[in-house]
Amino acid sequence: MQTPRTIPVPVPVLRLPRGPDGFSRGFAPDGRRTLLRPNAPEVGEGAQDPPELQEQRARAALRERYLRSLLAMVGHPVSFTLHEGVHVTAQFGATDLDVANFYVSQLQTPIGVQAEALLRCSDIISYSFKL
Amino acid sequence: MAMRQTPLTCSGHTRPVVDLAFSGITPYGYFLISACKDGKPMLRQGDTGDWIGTFLGHKGAVWGATLNKDATKAATAAADFTAKVWDAVSGDELMTLAHKHIVKTVDFTQDSNYLLTGGQDKLLRIYDLNKPEAEPKEISGHTSGIKKALWCSDDKQILSADDKTVRLWDHATMTEVKSVNFNMSVSSMEYIPEGEVLVLTYGRTIAFHSAVSLEPIKSFEAPATINSASLHPEKEFLVAGGEDFKLYKYDYNSGEELESYKGHFGPIHCVRFSPDGELYASGSEDGTLRLWQTVVGKTYGLWKCVLPEEDSAELPKPKIAFPETAEEELEEIASENSDSIYSSTPEVKA
Repeated sequence: MQTPRTIPVPVPVLRLPRGPDGFSRGFAPDGRRTLLRPNAPEVGEGAQDPPELQEQRARAALRERYLRSLLAMVGHPVSFTLHEGVHVTAQFGATDLDVANFYVSQLQTPIGVQAEALLRCSDIISYSFKL
Repeated sequence: MAMRQTPLTCSGHTRPVVDLAFSGITPYGYFLISACKDGKPMLRQGDTGDWIGTFLGHKGAVWGATLNKDATKAATAAADFTAKVWDAVSGDELMTLAHKHIVKTVDFTQDSNYLLTGGQDKLLRIYDLNKPEAEPKEISGHTSGIKKALWCSDDKQILSADDKTVRLWDHATMTEVKSVNFNMSVSSMEYIPEGEVLVLTYGRTIAFHSAVSLEPIKSFEAPATINSASLHPEKEFLVAGGEDFKLYKYDYNSGEELESYKGHFGPIHCVRFSPDGELYASGSEDGTLRLWQTVVGKTYGLWKCVLPEEDSAELPKPKIAFPETAEEELEEIASENSDSIYSSTPEVKA
């Protein structure tokens, strides 16, 4: 089908924003932000909350914090400690889905500056950056 | 490939949306609160527009709504002569602050310790939220109903707008420092702390003043009466909307009109940029909020950029199909309210 090149394509969206559920006032009691209110749901809920669920919640919260830390790093200079005592700094771009590779730019290496580079996660011992 | 703005419509309100506000950026993202004449302000996730909850309790139209910086508290101003403070995590009502007339505007200080209110009784009130039983401090001086009141200069001063004046007050002494008169009714006011800029709208004018001296910096004229305008956090763009139902985007430095969008079915009452500047939200007489991308085509929130090379069988098919239709139908699709457009059966529209 021929499409005239002048018709702009609407930006695709994943879905529409979710609306009210129509029967409650919302503010999901098991929402993430309820971690801000540790006191309120304690009464009588200890029995209903098996240790596995608590552990899963903790894991989910930690994972979320880690992902947010990656987001916070974007565009910032990050120092990487690699094997064999090598230290490099670069501007953080992104990681891939499994956090197996770190995409960085302006990588300062002992043998020069690399404009764009991929650092393998298995090569990295630790990294740090200032917020 | 030219991309066309796809606004995201947030439905749920049943009457005009008259005010909206974003929170700051929190570890959970940022949030958006909308004030509606149906008396039921709603909290939404700021980057997607997803509904989180509705604050139930007001017995009249809600004219003003705000969130504190970390979106843990919300405040609303209503026609039932009260301002209410809410827990924005649980949705519970924390405080009801009785006034002598319709309350129009509410604003938290940076530390969320004080709430500023203003309304038709022409008084500015400062409530100490740690002492809810104590009487508020009152500042008088306005000669007509207060439409908007904001903390400024690190909460050391207060900016307030009534029908024809904008006044600057010192918080400590509770006295007026400066005031500016206008010939036309001031329709909206926004304060940008970085750079101390005050954004005012009146008639078709969008004006920028220094928040410290109230001296004018610059102003632009829009094609229609403007009800609200917002300046981008990096001060590159401004957006404005008003009586012609359209959203306008201008270059702040040159004043050039960059983009304009139809989409709302009624006058636009409020426009605000998100705290990260990636999108702006508009509230309208038509009862909806719409989210618009600042950079059209960028992947952000619910918007997903699809590059031409990716348009192949390798990628999982998104649930949304864009049938190749004529210009008018695209216009219709982009401005439609209903869910049916984004179905997986494009033949419906063909």
